[in-house]
Amino acid sequence: MISSDVIRGYIDTMILYLLLNEPSYGYEISKRIRELTDEKYIIKETTLYSAFKRMEINGHIESFSGSETYGKPRTYYKITEAGKMYYKEKCKEWEITKEVIEKFILREWK
Amino acid sequence: MNTIRNYLDNMFLGLPDTEEVIRAKKELLTMMEDKYNELKDSGKAENEAIGIVISEFGNLDELAETLGIKHALENKSDILQVTYEEAENYIEDKVKTAPKTALGVLLLIMSPVLLLLLLGLKELTNVNAKEDLFIAAGLAVLIAMVAIAVSYFIRFSSKLEKYDYLQETVFELDYKTEQMIRGIMAQNEHSYKSAVSISVAGYILSALPVILTPLIFDIDGLSVISVAVTLTIVAVLTYNLISKSAVNAACTVLLQQGEYSVKSKSNKTLQTVTKVYWLVITAIYLAYSFITFNWAISWIIWPVAGVIFAAIQAIAEQRS
Repeated sequence: MISSDVIRGYIDTMILYLLLNEPSYGYEISKRIRELTDEKYIIKETTLYSAFKRMEINGHIESFSGSETYGKPRTYYKITEAGKMYYKEKCKEWEITKEVIEKFILREWK
Repeated sequence: MNTIRNYLDNMFLGLPDTEEVIRAKKELLTMMEDKYNELKDSGKAENEAIGIVISEFGNLDELAETLGIKHALENKSDILQVTYEEAENYIEDKVKTAPKTALGVLLLIMSPVLLLLLLGLKELTNVNAKEDLFIAAGLAVLIAMVAIAVSYFIRFSSKLEKYDYLQETVFELDYKTEQMIRGIMAQNEHSYKSAVSISVAGYILSALPVILTPLIFDIDGLSVISVAVTLTIVAVLTYNLISKSAVNAACTVLLQQGEYSVKSKSNKTLQTVTKVYWLVITAIYLAYSFITFNWAISWIIWPVAGVIFAAIQAIAEQRS
């Protein structure tokens, strides 16, 4: 299990990545996170919803209501231009973060 | 699916009904339902699916800031929490004491029976024994039975005293505890319902001796004895009802339903009225019975008082 502290700073990044190509809704996003991470990270509903709200306020995503094949009304989210910019920045930030942390990770124990 | 909805309702209990909160709840529910449906489609059992959905729900604290409910959430934690163990102990103690409380009530209802029988027999046989002797014997038994009943009540009410807050203050249960209580209540429902229906039918039939005896026989002595018969039937029925409804009564208190609902509990006037009302009724019953010695009729006050009480409760609930 991974520490949610580390992941917290990158939840927005994960969601933005999933929204890059097409809009999506709550459960689909949580399901894709689970699948992509081989169930190593399962996002809680409350975490996801608070991320949506935060990102909406920050202008990184927009919500609109739509209905799926079953006709159930759902809130969909789509990425904004500002969201794409932010995503790119976060990707760069992660590269640096990764490099920094890597320096302190011991791979071979003597 | 209802379980999930109840769970979410419970989590949102006491939070303000702002647009933000309502939207959050709706969307969380949709996500949970989607997950539940997919788990079910993938072949998971109902219980397992519900368990997974609930364990992956998270914590409302995460939403506190975004929803502007930080304050409400903090206040919410001020509400008394009743733990699993407390709830379990309460039900257990209630069940344990129920037969004894029921016995106390049985003694109380039956206390005038011997007196009535003696008075009736005296009329019937026309023996010239001193009436006083009959009365004295009957009264002695009556007082003894009341005394035993009262001592029972005092003993058991002091045993259950520590749970009084459950009936008086508003509290909260966690999800697991509530499920446990609902489970017990459902399990017991059949036996409770049949006890209630037997008692109701019995109460109605119990009036027959009192009504029919004077019509058929027209003998004073028999009429008095018929009251004793009716009281005995009522006493046995009540004994059965109290002992069989203990579990249900305890669960009603714990789930804060009916007269223990959050709404009724906040109605302090009704609580006071209830206490005073029954004391006054008891005083009237005792005073009237001892002064007029009309034990054959005075018991009527109990069913009448019960119906009037229900009316008072209904009016009070509408007002609040």
